[in-house]
Amino acid sequence: MTVEATLPPRPILGTPRPTVLAPRRREVLASGMSTALVQSGSVPIVALRLVVDVGSAHLQPGQAWLDRLLHDFLREGSATHDRAAFADALAAMGGSLDVDGDEHTTVLRTQVLAEHAAEAASMLIGLARTPRIPAEETARLVADQQRWAEIVAQEPAWRAHATFRASLYRGHPYGTVLPQAETLAAFTAADARAFWERHTGAGRATLMAAGKFDAGAVTEAAARASDGWATPEVASVQPAHVSGSRVVRFVARPGSEQTTLRVGAPVPPPGHGDYIALEVANSLLGGSFNSRITQNIREQKGYTYSPSSQISTRPRDAYWVEAADVTTAVTAPALDEILGEIDRLRADAPPEAEVLGITNYVAGISAIRGATLNGLLDHLEFLALHGLDDTYTAMYEARVRSVTPADVWRVTRDYLRPERLTIVAVGDAEAVRGDLGRFGVVVDG
Amino acid sequence: MTSGLDTAASFQVPVARMTLANGLRVVVSAEHSAPVVCVAVYYGVGMRLEPRGRTGFAHLFEHLMFQGSPQMAKMELVGLVQANGGLLNGSTRTDFTNYFEVMPSHTLELALWMEADRMRGPVITQAELDNQRDVVKNEIRVNVLNRPYGSFPWIDMQERAYTNWHNAHNGYGDMVDLDAASMADVRAFFDAYYSPANAALVVVGDAEPAEVFEMAQRYFEGIPAAPTPPQAQIEEPPQEEEKRFTRVDPLAPTPAIAIAYHTPPAGTPEYYALGLLHEALAEGDDALLHAELVSKRGYASEVDGGINFLGHMHNARTPLLWCVTLVHDAEVTADAILEAFDAVIEGVRERGLDSGALARSRTKARASLFNTVAGYIPGFGLADLLASFELIEGDASRVNDLDARFAAVTPELVAQVAHDYLKRENRVILELHAGAAVAAESEAAS
Repeated sequence: MTVEATLPPRPILGTPRPTVLAPRRREVLASGMSTALVQSGSVPIVALRLVVDVGSAHLQPGQAWLDRLLHDFLREGSATHDRAAFADALAAMGGSLDVDGDEHTTVLRTQVLAEHAAEAASMLIGLARTPRIPAEETARLVADQQRWAEIVAQEPAWRAHATFRASLYRGHPYGTVLPQAETLAAFTAADARAFWERHTGAGRATLMAAGKFDAGAVTEAAARASDGWATPEVASVQPAHVSGSRVVRFVARPGSEQTTLRVGAPVPPPGHGDYIALEVANSLLGGSFNSRITQNIREQKGYTYSPSSQISTRPRDAYWVEAADVTTAVTAPALDEILGEIDRLRADAPPEAEVLGITNYVAGISAIRGATLNGLLDHLEFLALHGLDDTYTAMYEARVRSVTPADVWRVTRDYLRPERLTIVAVGDAEAVRGDLGRFGVVVDG
Repeated sequence: MTSGLDTAASFQVPVARMTLANGLRVVVSAEHSAPVVCVAVYYGVGMRLEPRGRTGFAHLFEHLMFQGSPQMAKMELVGLVQANGGLLNGSTRTDFTNYFEVMPSHTLELALWMEADRMRGPVITQAELDNQRDVVKNEIRVNVLNRPYGSFPWIDMQERAYTNWHNAHNGYGDMVDLDAASMADVRAFFDAYYSPANAALVVVGDAEPAEVFEMAQRYFEGIPAAPTPPQAQIEEPPQEEEKRFTRVDPLAPTPAIAIAYHTPPAGTPEYYALGLLHEALAEGDDALLHAELVSKRGYASEVDGGINFLGHMHNARTPLLWCVTLVHDAEVTADAILEAFDAVIEGVRERGLDSGALARSRTKARASLFNTVAGYIPGFGLADLLASFELIEGDASRVNDLDARFAAVTPELVAQVAHDYLKRENRVILELHAGAAVAAESEAAS
């Protein structure tokens, strides 16, 4: 603090080096399987994902978390490698298997030393084609899911998310985040196998890879491993009828130190003409450190640590949501400020300089993500999920930079309308529920 | 050497170093695959060195370094980074506090200018201190107090496993201590620890060493030298007997157990042998503890383990703990888990690792280094390694010795380290009891 030494003036910057899209090779193999292989990075590592077009949205009513149970079953080995052999073989390549998914996809992923890329790709495809799904492991894997269900029920973020989803997507699989204890206990290996087999085949799978690796060898391995893998007919998921109507959903959590808030509304999905302007509006409003809501409720008021907004997307479906965990005592003032910032952006077009800064940020972050293996693969998954192609990526930066203050203003007015906002609060009923009435009709749960 | 090592490319990165007249170390690793650069400044102070009565202060101070500096008002730094297409963050660890930006490479000079301004010290008001105190308290609430397993195992285990206050205390801080933090504390802490000679500036990515060195001289060399702080007294006396504790987590619905062993000193062959033991015992689905406790017995869905609660084995000083945790069902007792756990550990203590498991460990350790470099934040994983080696060993280029250090570990040394360090006298057991389950039961009974 005693340092007085002068700092030279802030430097004038040169011109940016253009971002060059990492070279990629896309094919549809004879089996019907797609491949998307990107050369990137400087270390001999390859990130591999087998993305299969089946997820929680394909479940029947009453099957919530059967997809999660299936993810665990997929870690039990394939026809050629039992669980231990599979784990040993991947470990000998420097990798391990992760299986996860979302509403529309199941993803088998690993990251191995690049020299093993083709062999690891074959193993992932072999696993997807011939998973063991051993019935004798059912009790153990169901118990694992039951334990997780108990834990997430104690996590305020999960409670808030589940309530927000249930409110937006009543009667649709997107609206069911948590399982029923009775149905979870009754799941069998046969249920998991039937679910997997009904929806999977080469035509519903994409092998994605990023890194420094031999793309020709990976393509050959994928062609061989997927040869003859039949593709079933699958009915498409019914579109969601999303509810955007003003309501306050309250979840009691006695003694909660904070209130966990969600404020959100449906917005158009990727590919829609307004989507990129919405991304800019999101980053300006709550989706970045320098955003208005974050500056307000964190940097000015200290109500919360990690407020943030995002646009959550599924095919032909999306919503915007702000999330914040606020000190219990300032629940209502925090909601006032969040809603107030939305109102302010609806009332006046944002200044040119602010929008320029945010468009630079959105474009820059996209380039930064594209400089990492998993950032690249996340983006490839995003394109696939929304039926977009590499021209979207190539045009993205220019489209972001063309977003104007008037665009941001218009999409905020069109989509973040007060009468369409769903508000969720998870917190201590005695301390906060009484203050929520002025934000809308309060519904418990 | 084993076959896993012979075939894969070895872990080598370019490293260029210089030291400014004021003692600031500058490290550059050029990598031009994308027009992106990571600029990181590491200060040689972390949670271990905060003053008594001021737990959580190192972390609170990190927040204050975003609140303004001589040339930048509050939030100006954040705004400049974002408006130039970059991202930024900082974190407080046991021994270091870091600040970094990932930026388009043509903005490198701006990033250095900003960090040079920050190194001249926070310029903040009481209101800004109060604001960040509130933010930090909310960080503790959201990450620790308002969720199950929030302090488990890192805060809970350190408090019980260590006897030296510097290592044992809660680095997130007690609310009372945070409330007591004053502007005078801010000044004293900055003066003691945030001197150029106690820091390393690391640049990774699309930049050439010569230009970075020239810019570093331009912006940082005007910061006067200051005495380096005295060496931290963080030694732990050897543990002579097994320690066992329980605590109730009021929000946990199901119990958990953590088992921790004191590690050998960092940088020794024994330390790298323990690194390989960790890979064999607790990392990935092929790990011995996973096979026994998860796959065979179904006691838990995962076995989590690691050296260093706030990072990995390469980015902290010792003393450290190798700690394994499991979240399990109430029907399984901690003693039953320990019995199965001990069967695995004792087998390794008696026989070492078989050649297959040891070969996989070496490969996993190498892949883990590459994965650190290829992480989600471009450049940051490598910057973190380089800064850690510069500050711990005095030479960032020693990251290029890591492969050789792991390779030099013999099967005999692995067995010896298992025998000497994975013994009961050297461990601490913490049972976490499920307070939420107890509450639910008594509610049902009443």
